[in-house]
Amino acid sequence: MEKRFMKGCEAIAEAAVRGGCRFFAGYPITPQNEIPEYLSKRLPEVGGAFVQGESEVASINMVYGAAATGTRALTSSSGPGISLKAEGISYLASSQLPAVIVNISRGGPGLGSIQPAQSDYLQATKALGHGGFRAMVFAPATLQEAVDLTYDAWEYAERDKGPVLILMDGCLGAIMEEVELPEMKEISYANTEDWCLARVNGREESHMITPILPELGLEMLNRFKGMTYKMWEMTDVKVEEYMLEDAEYVVVAYGIAARVAKEAINTLREQGHKIGMIRPITLYPFPKASLDNLDYDKVKGIIDIEMTIPAQMRDDIELQVKGRCPVHEYGRSGGILLDDEGVLEAIENIVKGEA
Amino acid sequence: MPSYKRPSALLPMATGYCPGCLHALGTRLVADVVDELNQQKNAINVISVGCSALNLYSWSGDDIGAAHGRAPAVATGIKRCLPDRLVFTYQGDGDLAAIGLAEIMSAANRGENFTVIFANNQTYGMTGGQMAPTTLIGQKSTTTPCGRDPQTTGYPLKMCELISVLEAPVFVARYALNSPKGVADAKKGIKKAFELQLAGKGFTFIELLTNCPTNWGMSPLDTLEHMNTNSIPYFVPGVYKDKEAEK
Amino acid sequence: MKQSFVFSGSGGQGIMSAGITLAHTAIDMGKHSTFLPEYGPEQRGGSAKCTVIISDCDIVSPLPKKCDTLIAMNEQAYNKFIDDVKEGGTVVVNSSRVTDIERQDVKTISVPVDDVALELGNEKVANTVIIGALIGATGIVSKDAVIASLEDKFKAKSPKIMELNIAALEKGIALGKGAAE
Repeated sequence: MEKRFMKGCEAIAEAAVRGGCRFFAGYPITPQNEIPEYLSKRLPEVGGAFVQGESEVASINMVYGAAATGTRALTSSSGPGISLKAEGISYLASSQLPAVIVNISRGGPGLGSIQPAQSDYLQATKALGHGGFRAMVFAPATLQEAVDLTYDAWEYAERDKGPVLILMDGCLGAIMEEVELPEMKEISYANTEDWCLARVNGREESHMITPILPELGLEMLNRFKGMTYKMWEMTDVKVEEYMLEDAEYVVVAYGIAARVAKEAINTLREQGHKIGMIRPITLYPFPKASLDNLDYDKVKGIIDIEMTIPAQMRDDIELQVKGRCPVHEYGRSGGILLDDEGVLEAIENIVKGEA
Repeated sequence: MPSYKRPSALLPMATGYCPGCLHALGTRLVADVVDELNQQKNAINVISVGCSALNLYSWSGDDIGAAHGRAPAVATGIKRCLPDRLVFTYQGDGDLAAIGLAEIMSAANRGENFTVIFANNQTYGMTGGQMAPTTLIGQKSTTTPCGRDPQTTGYPLKMCELISVLEAPVFVARYALNSPKGVADAKKGIKKAFELQLAGKGFTFIELLTNCPTNWGMSPLDTLEHMNTNSIPYFVPGVYKDKEAEK
Repeated sequence: MKQSFVFSGSGGQGIMSAGITLAHTAIDMGKHSTFLPEYGPEQRGGSAKCTVIISDCDIVSPLPKKCDTLIAMNEQAYNKFIDDVKEGGTVVVNSSRVTDIERQDVKTISVPVDDVALELGNEKVANTVIIGALIGATGIVSKDAVIASLEDKFKAKSPKIMELNIAALEKGIALGKGAAE
């Protein structure tokens, strides 16, 4: 394995190429511009195609077209641009096309701020577009995890024929860390031949890819998708459970917030406080069981820590806690970063009952 | 004596177009050319939103439905991944000239190597006859009940003229499907566009002037005359750009 | 042992480049490191800040509020971030631009970085001078490792640029050492 000191955006771009990505379309928006910039040079080197679209709307539809040919396709953006891509993401879902979308999120709503924030949890997990579909949402906390999840993202997208979202905040997009890069995957179109547009010239049967279906067909697709989402809950939940055995307080945090929280937990553990953490790595499917199975005779409180205000993951947490203990929240927003001291103090205050 | 047969690029089923609609003829011309060039197994039809979406089920080769206005973006993604395939979009005027104006102009400007077939019937057919970007001045529609007034709605967009001023496109032409000569010319134009694409020359754009008996509220025959007196004087048929011929 | 460094100044002073060089050098020496840039919306001339963490073990959080060492390339940056330095921490200041030293509970290393760079013939090497001052004062990474990392960075450039940077580094180390004593 090759180790490199890389910037987050470039690390996931390289991981995408090594994971088989051969098409990218996107539109510039801070803080993710290093992804298109990197791929504009890198994709042609491996025989792939890069297109700077005229808009996020056009870009996601270019990805839709590329995905329809069985090519592993990627687009990336940040909050405002993901909103524009919503239509195309919904079409990927209805046409059952695999593709990967990266959101390097920033402060919102609106144009918001260009600084990092975790402001797109609800958009990512509840409504990436109209029509009531879901996408698997990966939320890495380190660049290594981001590389590994990106590298395998198309395996999930192709298995379930739909979009997969990688949600990272601007901190993880900009940070440089050491990463181990996996080997270049062999590209095989064997999995896509049975549905994609004419990759094989002269193939006898033709393929139709359609985002519109007769009523019964659409209902059948939705039933099937519903079953797929249930299956994800059983087989695809990724979660880190940290020091839960004796925990009296459990922090729930993902991505960059989880790293800051873990630092605080380590400090507080040294002072004898029994604190643990549940870190969802898949935001959808949400790690329900981790929360549901906590020993609520021991757990005195849940602390939801997010780099957004108000906390967006809280509803999903409360559905599992079911009132068995109080749920607290702490966050920063608008592009103001969480920091070690602030999070430590917030947890301390809650633990000491001063919240 | 050549026999008159259904092109194999179309499935043996009704198209779903209203009686007297020239859209069906446009579709048929495209299918004929695909047959003549023996591209049935190589063509990818990118289908748009509007009446042209009816092609989705009658097309026998590979096809894909695009979001409203986005067909040129979808075709870009396809063609960049499969450069040897014959890729074309088939779009109506609302799809191409209103909601999809950014996509068509940008794809044309990039010189994407695919063909756009643009059916201009000066109305939104599928949604019930609202004003289109191509609706003529004074023409009544369900959203311009007193006729299109340029003071509030501007003027009908001339897409061939707009696209022909771009540097990249190689062939841009408009044909009216209301006469046998227009139909014959249109077929030649479509064939030329497809041949240019297959030779890797670049972006080609074919506008087909069509009618809408249902929403114009006329008999099919009356629409043909209406086209002569109203549509054709404004949307003048002809070749607007032919880069190969200029050489 | 985990240490945090904040490099600060204005856009164009080579703040990010200095931070990356330090982080890169630490990694080459077998340590763990993170580099986190913060930009203003301006493309040129705005404020520039980056945080570098160097540690012997995996770095959990890259977002400390307080840093062990502040490197301030101008007065605005010094005033903005001086309160973020831990008590007993170190501040390396570009004394060509920062004259008013506020805090007495931190160790201040004053080096006239801009003047030194100008004497060497190129103001652009100011950031290499300040890296030199930082390692001269703290010994956080070795001189040889910094040189190796600079060689990697300037491998496509003319050898003269490398020579100039080595001179800048050495001058910075000498001044940093002197100021620390």
